[in-house]
Amino acid sequence: MYTTNWLRPLGAAALTLLLAQAGAAQETLKLGISAPLSGAAASWGLGMEWAAEQAAERVNEEGGVTANGKTYMFDIVSYDNKYSATEGARNAQTMLNRDGIDYIAGTIGTAPVRAMQALTERKGVILFTTAWGKSVKGPEFPFTFTQMNTPFEILVPFYNFIKEQHPDLETAVLISPNDATGQELEPVAVETWKSLGVEMLASDWYERGTTEFQPIATKIASLNPDIIDFSAAPPTDVGSILKELDVLGWNGVKVMSAGTSVDALTAVAGEAAEGAYLGASADFSGETATEVQKELNAGAREALGEPLNGITISSYDAIMALRAAIEEADSVDPAKVQAVLSSVRFESSYGPSGFGGEATYDYPQQMLIPVIVTRVENGKAVELTRSNPAELEALIND
Amino acid sequence: MELFVQLLANTLQIGAVYVLFALGLTLIFGVMKIVNFAHGAFFTAAALIVTSVVPFATVEFGVPLWAGYLLAAIVAIVVVLCLGALVYGIGFQHVLKDLNGSFILSIGLLLILNGAYLAIYGGAPRTVPQVLPGTVSIFGAALTAQRLALVIVAAVVTGGLYLLIERTRLGLALRAVAMDQEAAMLQGMPFNRVALYGFLIGAALAACAGVLMAPINAVTPVSGDEFLIKAFIIIIIGGLGSVTGAIIGGLFIALIESMGGYFFDPSTATLAMFILVIAFLLVRPQGILGNVE
Repeated sequence: MYTTNWLRPLGAAALTLLLAQAGAAQETLKLGISAPLSGAAASWGLGMEWAAEQAAERVNEEGGVTANGKTYMFDIVSYDNKYSATEGARNAQTMLNRDGIDYIAGTIGTAPVRAMQALTERKGVILFTTAWGKSVKGPEFPFTFTQMNTPFEILVPFYNFIKEQHPDLETAVLISPNDATGQELEPVAVETWKSLGVEMLASDWYERGTTEFQPIATKIASLNPDIIDFSAAPPTDVGSILKELDVLGWNGVKVMSAGTSVDALTAVAGEAAEGAYLGASADFSGETATEVQKELNAGAREALGEPLNGITISSYDAIMALRAAIEEADSVDPAKVQAVLSSVRFESSYGPSGFGGEATYDYPQQMLIPVIVTRVENGKAVELTRSNPAELEALIND
Repeated sequence: MELFVQLLANTLQIGAVYVLFALGLTLIFGVMKIVNFAHGAFFTAAALIVTSVVPFATVEFGVPLWAGYLLAAIVAIVVVLCLGALVYGIGFQHVLKDLNGSFILSIGLLLILNGAYLAIYGGAPRTVPQVLPGTVSIFGAALTAQRLALVIVAAVVTGGLYLLIERTRLGLALRAVAMDQEAAMLQGMPFNRVALYGFLIGAALAACAGVLMAPINAVTPVSGDEFLIKAFIIIIIGGLGSVTGAIIGGLFIALIESMGGYFFDPSTATLAMFILVIAFLLVRPQGILGNVE
């Protein structure tokens, strides 16, 4: 009977501990990813998902994120948006209504993001996006934050650099995917080329999912432009067009404003991809890469078979921004986190970062990171130049 | 002149695969009177199998690329035939001549198969090295040797199918069943077996198209879906159930894609196809060579 007297308080203590542990284990913050995990742009989505998982793992290993005395662990939940508005809306409904997600750490595609915003902005859910459309930003979308450079940050320095490298360039053809991303990028691209004295011979559209590119390649080759700008086309589509252009003997300057996955590009185009300029890629194994980027890049090569790029690494940076904002707000209430996110300073994979872009978007929701220009050389993305936006320079020097 | 030869060459390159794909779809409709939305899944299965067997055979066993590709083609067609027999046995034989039932069944099947491909292969595009590298010039038109081979093989397969339909007992049975199933059965033709053969021939044609496209385009678990939409346009224009109609329709759609893509842009060409289908459905719903029922 003596033993029983001891066992009772011991059992009660053990039960309390177990309950406390169970309680602690439940303090998990689910972070959503909505990106194309299948189709021509799958390499973007799969890379973004992987980078988000690495960021969550890093935060969790470092003890999680603390707010209001509680510690939270990040958990990544991914959905395939197939680069379509329908799937984007479906993803948002599932994440917000079923999974109870308050933070979306990465999304790809203007059309799916527009569809998601209808729900995320209304419910006050923070949405990080790589969407290139300007229409997803502004004071009317205070819960939306862009996690990578977009045309308004990239195109001027990117096109300027190309023009400097090839001063004799006079004519260009633009080929864009016929969706929200392409439609919003096209006028900016046309205007920027014109401002550099380049005549636009044609600006054509194709539907995502197109399998046969010979007709458009024949047209482009017959126009014989100095430059072909593939706008927001994903690497697999660009690879198919470059392959056909190579057969037809065209050999000018190849420009991919949304150029990223060199492995996917060269797998389709082969040597025809050589020399292509990429606006959203980066050499995360080169001298200018940070240690974090080198480590992530090596891991991605092993796990996914291809390196990271500006789109895929952005989920890592979004999660780092989110951690800093939650700790700054000392709350996991998305409204309180949103209130501090625009002014928070955090360590991105590129180095010190924050949010800016108020002059362009009337709201500081653009992540400040360097603009990096790379070119395909021997099947790899080689960094040619990089420049920091003025706001980022000020932030670094602050 | 050179330009028109190039556009014609583009038409033949694009049309060759469309014809093969649409022939299978129209044959299945003609014999079984069903719509098979899972037809693209046979194409995808074959293309995906090629992307996994070719590297396996060439890297693991040191087989030459052409031999690895031939092996992959055989494996792909056999696997698709087995898959075809399985889905016919489980599902399609129970919905023969039932448009609504086959519609629901094939949509469900498509979702299941696409999900399975995604789980097995992942979503990233997969590629196969070109078996026949190099470019050839025909009357000033440039095309890859691989594409030329595709056109030749597609023409041979189409010719073979035409002979099978016109000159063999099986072809006679398929035609008889397509014309009047009850009359054919009264003549002693085993409808279920003929329907199975028709279904398997259709699946094999989709597999052939997938095998031929794998070294040319990047393959994803949804590659067949884009071709499926075009194939439906083709058989509506050519005439549901008509083999010759599928050939004419396939080349016609390829011509629109080639000319429209050149003189306007690919998006406009795609739009033109849909407008054409609407026009056909309004003015001549039976298509160019289809029968009014």
